Amino acid sequence: MEVLLGITGKDFVIVAASKAAMRGASILKSNDDKTRPLNKHNLLAFSGEAGDTIQFTEYIQANIALYSMRNETDLGPSAVASFIRSELAKSLRSRKPYNVNLLLGGVDPISREPSLYWLDYLASSAKLPYAAHGYAQYYCLSILDKHHHPDISFDQGMRILRMCTDELQRRLPIDFKGMTVKVVKKDGIQEVEYDTSKQVLSA
Amino acid sequence: MSRRYDSRTTIFSPEGRLYQVEYALEAISHAGTALGVLATDGIVLAAERKVTSKLLEQDTSAEKLYILNDNMICAVAGMTADANILINYARQAAQRYLITYNEDIPCEQLVRRLCDLKQGYTQHGGLRPFGVSFIYAGWDPQRQFQLYQSNPSGNYGGWKATSVGANNASAQSLMKQDYKEDCNLKEACSLAVKILSKTMDSTKLSSEKIEFATVGRTKDGTIYHHIWSGKEIDALLKEEGLAKEEEESG
Amino acid sequence: MDTLVAQYTQPPFSHEGYTQDEQEDYAESIPPLSLKFALPPVDRPAQFLRAMTDDHSNPDCPIKIAHGTTTLAFRFKGGIIVATDSRATAGNWIASQTVKKVIEINPMLLGTMAGGAADCQYWLAYLGIQCRLHELRHKRRISVAAASKILANLVYSYKGMGLSMGTMITGVTPQEGPALYYIDSDGTRLAGNLFCVGSGQTFAYGVLDALYKYDLEDDEALELGKRSILAAQHRDAYSGGYINLYHVKEDGWVKHGFMDSNPIFWETKLEKGEFSNVTSHL
Repeated sequence: MEVLLGITGKDFVIVAASKAAMRGASILKSNDDKTRPLNKHNLLAFSGEAGDTIQFTEYIQANIALYSMRNETDLGPSAVASFIRSELAKSLRSRKPYNVNLLLGGVDPISREPSLYWLDYLASSAKLPYAAHGYAQYYCLSILDKHHHPDISFDQGMRILRMCTDELQRRLPIDFKGMTVKVVKKDGIQEVEYDTSKQVLSA
Repeated sequence: MSRRYDSRTTIFSPEGRLYQVEYALEAISHAGTALGVLATDGIVLAAERKVTSKLLEQDTSAEKLYILNDNMICAVAGMTADANILINYARQAAQRYLITYNEDIPCEQLVRRLCDLKQGYTQHGGLRPFGVSFIYAGWDPQRQFQLYQSNPSGNYGGWKATSVGANNASAQSLMKQDYKEDCNLKEACSLAVKILSKTMDSTKLSSEKIEFATVGRTKDGTIYHHIWSGKEIDALLKEEGLAKEEEESG
Repeated sequence: MDTLVAQYTQPPFSHEGYTQDEQEDYAESIPPLSLKFALPPVDRPAQFLRAMTDDHSNPDCPIKIAHGTTTLAFRFKGGIIVATDSRATAGNWIASQTVKKVIEINPMLLGTMAGGAADCQYWLAYLGIQCRLHELRHKRRISVAAASKILANLVYSYKGMGLSMGTMITGVTPQEGPALYYIDSDGTRLAGNLFCVGSGQTFAYGVLDALYKYDLEDDEALELGKRSILAAQHRDAYSGGYINLYHVKEDGWVKHGFMDSNPIFWETKLEKGEFSNVTSHL
């Protein structure tokens, strides 16, 4: 019951991930950060099998950092997404594939254009205006279908995110302990204060 | 004296020289001239084609200008056989980058890949260096139009205008005189053809003796590269008054 | 003599209540109707049925029961909105795009259909019969609570035997006001303000929860019901076709159309700029 959400707008990408780290019947940690910055303008959020997620994401993080060092330039979101996809495709046909689902939020360092990529462990990759993984797809995509527009402002983006997390708090049977919310803009990645302590009940 | 050192690429001479590399550079300085000029809206590459015999089949395709990738072309001076190996390597490297990153390889990275390979042959035992210099013309979103040159040692650098091969010193000094920073592609073309006409042995040029290629931007903003046909080259020569007199009129 | 005594020692007015037979008729959980069902000639029919129809555990099962659906109903100050899609699927096969999933039990009561199409149609028709009998016997309309309880008790009596239905019973009565009940084949019966049922429920919940409030105007409520079904039809492969829309009021239900969702989708996308992930150019 991990939640990953991504929303793009005029000049930003919001990436949100649930804070609960669950194993079996227990919540082991309630302030888990399921995101990793790859370079100045790219943020990766992950869910999936325990162990695989961190191993894979940090492997990607290291490789993207290596590229930046070697070439004195950062890869853009589209190139990062393609690189991750190719690594997932390699992994899929290996003896022990990584079971990781990802959202990549980024802003192109040259064109300044924000973009969001949805990737799953089967090495599918799609560039989308908004995306989700896991059960969040079932509850949030219809909300985003209705309320999202490509040129929304950051405040509007946060309002739509609130609608999504409210719905998840209302309908998901397990408490996911709130969300880590980060935003990627032209001047980098920032964490956003996000309070989910208010109880949300269904009508 | 130098025989102990000049048969090996991997060994410095007491003067601190790598003779094999220098010999390779020497071989290139006898090859047909190739030059490149960077303009604000594109790049032109031009090369002299040495016609060795009338009996030789005049292939229509270029033998000194090659396409490396969608965003990059190059001109060759030196041993064609060596160049073929390197060009094939560069094309594969560019495709490998394209398949992992889904975008064209940045120009400098491709140049560096080739130069890393070239450098290897100046160091590993028993191998001779590649006897080729390249001039590369390319475009990428970060650095726009770019012109590079590399030589057998594996050194490379970016240039506004440069040349390799026979008479490259005089070509270089002509360019230093006549190159204007803010020239457009058309002006760069005429500069290139003028320099070529002065550095080549024959006074009158024709499409059989030179090759021409440009990298530029179309009206809708997409980047193109184009290796000129004989007709196009002749038209340019005529416009610049450098064409060989036609037999009937002469 | 004993019979005479018995005849005169019956309490007065006893004939005015239910007869013993009538009482049994109500109390009997399995109605006589069911005795006519033919059962497969195997040891444990319920288990056999499940083996033959469980698409999830055995994708090669020989009987594919029509399943996927989106239905919703919600209470608001102007009554109750009921809306459904119209797609029937059997496995991956779209069996129909024009199913009527709102069942008009009588001019006052509506039921919705999710799960096995046959189960829903049959038992809601049966419920219609029981409601009419109630009216004839008592000279007044059955309450929604009672009607829903008849159905809940009925399906409970068949629990574990393979019935598959998720339904909502709605109606407005003077004593209850607008009433909404959810009943499923597990025997669950819940009263509530808002329910979505079927494979597309989550998508409908998403849109509905975000904008629902009790004080909606009639036109707002109708639009919200319609938009919620559209959301589910867009995202759920097992929902689609038409949007069936009803408004239940105190003097009975009003039908607000059986609308092709395709033009509604494009209208919503192109005029309101929603569904921005769908590109309209090639």
